[in-house]
Amino acid sequence: MSADLFVQCLMSGITQGSIYALIGLGFTIIYAVTRIINFAQGEFVMLGGMFSYILAVKAGLPMPLALLIAIVIAAAVGAVMYLLAIRTARRASVISLIIITIGAAIFIRGIAGNRFGVNAVSPPAFTDTGSMKFLGAYIEPQALWIIGITFAVTIVLYLFLSHTMVGKALRACAVNPSAASLVGINTKAMALIAFIIAGAIGGIGGVVVAPLQDKYDMGIMLGLRGFVAASIGGFMSPVATVIGGLVLGIVENLAIGLDWGPFTSAYKDVIPLVVLLLILLIRSGKLAAAERAG
Amino acid sequence: MILAWAKRKWTYFAIAALIAFLVLIPFDWFLGRYTSIMIFVGISTMVTVGLCLLMGYTGQVSLGHAAFYGLGAYFSAVLSKTYSLNPWLAMLIAAIATGAFAYIIGYPIFRLRGNYLAMATLGIGLIMWVLFNQLSQYTGGPDGMHGIPYLSIGGFDFDTNFKRFYLVWFFCLAILFLSQNIVRSRTGRALRAIHGNEAAAESLGINVTQFKVKIFVLSSVYASLAGSLFAHHLRFVSPQSFDFLSSVKLVVMAVIGGLASIWGAIFGAGTTRFLSDEVLLGLNQYPQLDIIIYGLILMLVMIFMPEGLFVAIKSGTLWLRVNWRNLPAIMNRKRKELPNQMKYILGRLLFARLWRRTEP
Amino acid sequence: MSQPILETRNLSKAFGGLIAIDKVDLKIDTGKITAIIGPNGAGKTTLFNLIAGVYQQTSGEILFNGKSLKHPPWYARAIKRGLNREILGDKLQRHVSAHMRASLGIARTFQHVHLFGNMTVLENIMTGQHTRSKYGFFGAALRLPKARREEEMINLNAMKYLNMVGLGKHANLNALSLPLGQQKLLAVARALATEPKLILLDEPGAGLNALEKRELSDLMKRIREIGVTVVLVEHDMPLVMGIAEWIIVLDSGRKIAEGTAAQVQKDRKVIAAYLGEETDSAEG
Repeated sequence: MSADLFVQCLMSGITQGSIYALIGLGFTIIYAVTRIINFAQGEFVMLGGMFSYILAVKAGLPMPLALLIAIVIAAAVGAVMYLLAIRTARRASVISLIIITIGAAIFIRGIAGNRFGVNAVSPPAFTDTGSMKFLGAYIEPQALWIIGITFAVTIVLYLFLSHTMVGKALRACAVNPSAASLVGINTKAMALIAFIIAGAIGGIGGVVVAPLQDKYDMGIMLGLRGFVAASIGGFMSPVATVIGGLVLGIVENLAIGLDWGPFTSAYKDVIPLVVLLLILLIRSGKLAAAERAG
Repeated sequence: MILAWAKRKWTYFAIAALIAFLVLIPFDWFLGRYTSIMIFVGISTMVTVGLCLLMGYTGQVSLGHAAFYGLGAYFSAVLSKTYSLNPWLAMLIAAIATGAFAYIIGYPIFRLRGNYLAMATLGIGLIMWVLFNQLSQYTGGPDGMHGIPYLSIGGFDFDTNFKRFYLVWFFCLAILFLSQNIVRSRTGRALRAIHGNEAAAESLGINVTQFKVKIFVLSSVYASLAGSLFAHHLRFVSPQSFDFLSSVKLVVMAVIGGLASIWGAIFGAGTTRFLSDEVLLGLNQYPQLDIIIYGLILMLVMIFMPEGLFVAIKSGTLWLRVNWRNLPAIMNRKRKELPNQMKYILGRLLFARLWRRTEP
Repeated sequence: MSQPILETRNLSKAFGGLIAIDKVDLKIDTGKITAIIGPNGAGKTTLFNLIAGVYQQTSGEILFNGKSLKHPPWYARAIKRGLNREILGDKLQRHVSAHMRASLGIARTFQHVHLFGNMTVLENIMTGQHTRSKYGFFGAALRLPKARREEEMINLNAMKYLNMVGLGKHANLNALSLPLGQQKLLAVARALATEPKLILLDEPGAGLNALEKRELSDLMKRIREIGVTVVLVEHDMPLVMGIAEWIIVLDSGRKIAEGTAAQVQKDRKVIAAYLGEETDSAEG
């Protein structure tokens, strides 16, 4: 494989991996604080992208404002979803919660598809310079935005979680919800905040990837990869999630670029699934050993 | 005296009435125009029963059950068309192969819990769907396979909707009865025990993991049979019928029918099918309405009636029968209380987080 | 005296850094009612979980009727026939799982009862008969005659155990509609339905009033009469001293004393562990 092709794959891998990382962070935040897997995470991304288009192009708002509002909307949808669907299901079983989030996911997708049409449209990129050459590979400026923003979000999230009261409260809930409530942390408020953050991060992801995207129905496939990224981090560690996302993106693109065996681009979708099943297998093996040890 | 006996045996009468009703449907002077839909309802019911048993008795969700449905359909299609095997033999082989597959993946999968288990099933479902799309030399790829032969006995071909209706419902009712027997038996008790309290079940000698796998295999075999019947009915299969949305629709059917209910599966499959086919075809100007409604149903039912819609309706009618005399008084009281209750609920929903106190 | 029905040798269980059970050796004599007492956190329920197979021990052995519970019966038989242990090696040492132990004859109840709330009282007990019956999916689905006969047997046996604990007239009520005292009796009946040789009762007296505790003592005597060895963990001292023929005292995961009621009451180590000769029955 030529060095150029390799670098190209690497760059697109990092770019896509950043998106997966962002989505994965959404899964991780919600799971860590509430132990719920939010199947609707991919829809937050979709909403972010959709609204960025509507506000920037259709409504003609200035770009930064449109993006900001789109992110706020995604966060708001997360909040509403938590308040209406999750909090009202008092002490629902795990299986019920899973079904509820799936229901929410397809509900959101349906409403969005109904109101805004199923055809994909993309808003313009953030900056309009042509593609640049970087280390022998062509890279869209939007890709730099994606990588940069992901980096920024990760840093901000890290600072937030480690240095603010609310962040620490969130981490407390992640470790032990009952103990957290015993020291005066309102766990339900924390859950709401987690959903808002996840919505916002999803929205950011959607907003940032929308100029490159050309499919409406990306919710499931992106969500799946974000899920895989999060599962690499055990759904608890944001750092591992980000690394996982990047690795997944790179592996995917390298596999296609290298044309390894059956990995034609048609099979591209199988890669995250295989990684997922591997992770689940490893986990299942660990669980079996742990069960035996009590 | 006879009346008392009749009241006790009312389930038998209900089922007999149901069967009589079903037998008459395909006749034009009755409900003949619904024959085609009812065939699909029957097929879906078969899959739904398996899913209900799985979700209701082991508490595990399967988000990829369409995979088994598809395996049955594709095995039947390929074996009977490409390899000209007897369709009945193909159906049997499909069921065995699907069951074996479920058995192999069952043990590692059921060591996982809750969320991870759900994701594993989702992953399996997606992988199968990708394979259906990609293995085009066998499956015909995204365009699917045509020309699947009819099922036949002797020289008698099941070539009309009328004939296939009875075929499908024969299988469907057989499966419902078999499942009913299983649930009422020692095996059924073991399953309910697992659902009730796994640790206690284990302490009584029930191998919990083995049972979960067995039910998983059983539900996969049901789905496979249904898939085979589907293939021989439409004479055409394509991967679209077995994607994630199909798996979600199956969950919707199971949820409406009641997660641990058997006869409720007919209700679940029936309402969902009628919803998607009849009602929405007429509402073309409201795109995506079907998935909006599915999403709403999933959320509302699981939030307010986690045992399933049908079961909730049954308990509701039971409550009505017991309390019908008090009804006017109850309604009066509710009318007076309702505004305050609503205010309280709304207030809690929206403002609780602003009150800095720990929630109970 | 015959061989002890249950024996532990050097049994230890650690959860990460916490040592819950520390090199415990004990013998449970067949046919006697044995009590295991000790302050809270002594490891009593952990011990039960180890015996019942819910946890796997970190080291040490548990022998049931002389046979080690580290190897499943087939392996133990292979050892006896002289297969070289070094060849088969430690890798094949499998832990006899909880459900297998139930079929071997070890039954247990739980501190928090753990009844099946989705079944009736009788059905709970019938579930206990699971290991003593055989018919499976096919027999059930097709309602074969053998299956129906077995079902009859299960029904009869379950009624027998139900009457034994005195709950006969509640057979068709939902299990959770019983008051706590009767729920505990139901749990015992359910465990008895597995036709065990050894039954482990985890705090059977917790939450019972004085009358119910007397009925419990009588029940334990009846269980002994039908040939089942009873081991109980209890906090209620009068109850224990009244019924137990042998008492084992644990503290912080170690056995600190054992003997008859009189001996244990005078043992200085026991008194020190409890900080007082009489403890009020702590409602567990």
